[in-house]
Amino acid sequence: MNPAPALLAALAFATALATGGRLLVWQAERVPDTGSVFDLLLGESRRAFAMHAFIKADAYFHSGFYPSVFDLAQVADRNKTHLEESIKSAGNEHHDHDAKPAPARDWLEAFGNHFHPSQHRHLERFGDEREILPWLRLAAELDPQRVETYTVAAFWLRDRLNKVNDAEQFLREGLRANPQSYEILYELGRLYAENDRDVPRARAVLELAIERWLKQEARKADPDKQGYGQILAQLADLEERAGNLDRALAHFARLKQVSPAPETVQKRIDELLARQGRPR
Amino acid sequence: MNTIWALAKIVVLEMIRRKDFYVLFILTVLLTGMAGSVNLFNDHSIVRYLKEICLLLIWVASLVIAITCTARQIPMEREQRTIFPLLAKPVTRAQFLLGKFLGCWVATGLALLVFYLFFGVVSASREQHWPVLNYLQAGFLHWLMLGIVIAATLLGSIVFAAPSSNGTICFVCVAGILLLGRHLNKVALGLAEPLQSLLYGIYFVIPHLELFDVRDLITHNWDLIPGGVMALAILYAATYTAFLLTAAWLVFRRRPLN
Amino acid sequence: METLTIDNLRVEYRSRAVGDPVKTAVRGLNLRVAQGEVFGFLGPNGAGKTSTMNVLLGFVPPTSGTARLFGVDVREPIARQRIGYLPEQTYYYKFLTAEELLRFYAEIFQIPKAERTQRIDAVLKLVELDHARTRQIKTYSKGMQQRAGLAQALINNPDLLILDEPTSGLDPIGRMKVREIIQRLKSEGKTVFFSSHELGEVETVCDRIAILHQGELKTEGRVSDLLRQHGANLEQIFLKIIGHPLQP
Repeated sequence: MNPAPALLAALAFATALATGGRLLVWQAERVPDTGSVFDLLLGESRRAFAMHAFIKADAYFHSGFYPSVFDLAQVADRNKTHLEESIKSAGNEHHDHDAKPAPARDWLEAFGNHFHPSQHRHLERFGDEREILPWLRLAAELDPQRVETYTVAAFWLRDRLNKVNDAEQFLREGLRANPQSYEILYELGRLYAENDRDVPRARAVLELAIERWLKQEARKADPDKQGYGQILAQLADLEERAGNLDRALAHFARLKQVSPAPETVQKRIDELLARQGRPR
Repeated sequence: MNTIWALAKIVVLEMIRRKDFYVLFILTVLLTGMAGSVNLFNDHSIVRYLKEICLLLIWVASLVIAITCTARQIPMEREQRTIFPLLAKPVTRAQFLLGKFLGCWVATGLALLVFYLFFGVVSASREQHWPVLNYLQAGFLHWLMLGIVIAATLLGSIVFAAPSSNGTICFVCVAGILLLGRHLNKVALGLAEPLQSLLYGIYFVIPHLELFDVRDLITHNWDLIPGGVMALAILYAATYTAFLLTAAWLVFRRRPLN
Repeated sequence: METLTIDNLRVEYRSRAVGDPVKTAVRGLNLRVAQGEVFGFLGPNGAGKTSTMNVLLGFVPPTSGTARLFGVDVREPIARQRIGYLPEQTYYYKFLTAEELLRFYAEIFQIPKAERTQRIDAVLKLVELDHARTRQIKTYSKGMQQRAGLAQALINNPDLLILDEPTSGLDPIGRMKVREIIQRLKSEGKTVFFSSHELGEVETVCDRIAILHQGELKTEGRVSDLLRQHGANLEQIFLKIIGHPLQP
C-alpha cells in the first residue's frame, strides 16, 4: 500500500489546523471583542452591514430618497453621507446638494419615478429626525468602532429631540468602544457646553479632544484640519462666553492657522481685542 | 365565467385550509412585535423603521404565498390525478388556467388584506393617524404585481415539471427584477455595444415589478400616486399578465395529459 | 342511436428523445356503443385501452381518425357535457368534503342552484356516503374515496359513464357495491363504457365487450355470443385471443 496519499492528507490537515489557529490568534489580537451577538454571527461582515444601516439612516433623513449604488457610481465624492454633511454644516440649512433630481433616461424611468421617492427632500416636521435613530442604533451595535454613528446620533438627539441624557449616554457608550476618538470627545464637549452649560466639564473634555487630535492627526500628511478647527472654535466660544478672553484669543489664534477662512477668524480676534481694549 | 369562478373558489378554499398563510402571518406578527419592542433612546413614537420592517415581511410573505401556492397547482393536479376527472368535464384548458390564476390571485389578495390590516394597526398604534387611501393604493399595486408573478409562475409550472425548481426560478427572477430592474438602464449605459443594446432591450422587455413596490412612499408618508399614473400601472400589469397567461395557454392547450 | 363512435382511431406518442421510435398505442380502432348498453373494454396492460379513453375524454389528441360522443367530436369540450368519468385510483381534493367536491363539479356543469342540492343528496345516497358528506375526503377509506369518485361521475346525471378500472383496489364488499351501482344505472337506461381486468365481473355486468391487444381490436360482440361461439368462459377466451398459452 502506498502511504504517500495518507501522509499528504495528514500534512494538509495539520497545516490547516495550524493556520486556522494562527488566524484565530491574529484575529483576536486585531479585532476588539465587542461581545456582541452580531460579532459572533456576522464576523467582519458586520461592518458592511453597519455601513448599510448608516446609509439607511441617511435615506430616512431624506424621507426615503437616496441614490442607488448605480447612481453613486457616477458621483465623484461618495465617501461622506449627506447626513454627516448636514451635521458638519449644522445651523446652515443650505448645505450642498442638488435639489433637482437627475432627468430620467427613458420613459420607463420617468414613469417609474412616480412609484418611489424621487425628489430630494428632508424630514419635514420638527422631531421627525427621531426616525433615523433606529438605524444609527443598529449601526452602532453592528460596528461599535464606527465613530460617526455616535456623533451623528448624539447631534440629533440633543439638537432636535431634546434628549440630552440619551445623547450623553450614547456618546459615552461610543467613547468606551473608541477611547481615543477626538470626534466623540468633541461632540461630548459640545453637549456639556451648549446643553448643560457646564463650562469646566466641557473645557476638560474639549481639551482632551485637542490632546487626542494632536496625538493622532498632527503628524499625518493630510490631517483632519476641519475636526481640529471645530474643537478649537468650540473651545474658543466656550472661553469667550465664560469671560476668559485671553484663553479664547489663544484658541482663535490656533484656529486661524487651520481655518479655511482665516479672515473670518481674524475678525473675531479683532472683536475680542477691542473688547479687551487692546490694540489690534 | 361560472366555471372559472368555481375553479378559483377551490384554490381559495385550499389556501384557507392549508397552514402556509397562518404560519407566515404569525411569523410576520412575531417579528414585527420583536422589532417594535426594542427600546430606542426611550422614544416610543419612532415608527418608520417598524413600518419598513413590517412591509418587508409582508412582501416576502406574499411572494412566498403567491409563488408556492401557484407553483404547486398544476403539478399537484397531475400528481394526484385530480386533473383527469376535472378535464373530463366540459372545462376547456383555457378555463382551467384562468380558474387557477384567478384562484391564486384572489387567495393572495385575501392574504394581503389581512396583512395590510395588521400593518395599518401597527402604523396607527404609533403614528396616531391612518392614511387609508395610501394603504389601499399600496395594497392594490402590490396585488397587481402579484398578478404578474402568479401568471409567470403558472407558465413556469407548465414548462418545468417540479414545483420546487419552478418556485426557485420564480423567486430568483422576481427578486432580481425587484432589486435590479430599475437600474438596468444605468448599467447598460456603462457598457460597450452590442451589450448595451442587449441589456437595454432586456430592460424594456422584463416586467418591472418594482414599479408596484411603493413601500418607501408609505414608510415615509409621501403623497398618493396620481390617478392617471395608477391607470397606466393597471394597464401595464394587465398587459404582462395577459401575455404570460396566453403563453401558458399556448404551451398547455395541446399538451397530452397522460 | 349510438352514444359513442370511434372511426379509424390511431394514437401515437412521440418520444422527446431524438431518434427514439414513435410508439403506436392504438391502430385503426373502430368501435360503436349504443345507448343503454354496458360495454366492457378489455385488454392486457399496454393494449391501448387507456389511450382510447384518453382520446374520448380529450386528454390526448388523436393522431388520426375520429372519436365522437353523442355525435360531437371529442375535441369539443361540449362533448363531455353528458358524460361521467371515473378514473382508476383517483385522489380527489383531499381538503374538501364530499359535499363540497360535488358542489364544485355541479357548478362546473352549471346545474341550477335549486337542483344542485337535490342532485348532491341523491348521488350521495346512491353511493352510500350520505353519513360522511361533511367529512374531508382525506379521512375516507379507499373504498369511500372510490365511491366519492363514482358520485362525482354521476353528479350531472350523465347519459354515458366512462369507468376506468372502477373496482381496482377495492375489497369484495366495495366491488359488490360498485357492481350494484352499474346494474342500477343500466336499469335506468344509462350507457356504461368501462375497462376492467376483472373478467368475471365483466361477464356478469356487460352486454357487449371488445378485446384490444397491442393497439388493435381483436374481437367485439355480445358476451353471450362470444361464450357460445368459443365454448369457454370469458377468461379463457381472453387468454386465447391475446395469444397467451392456456393452463391445462
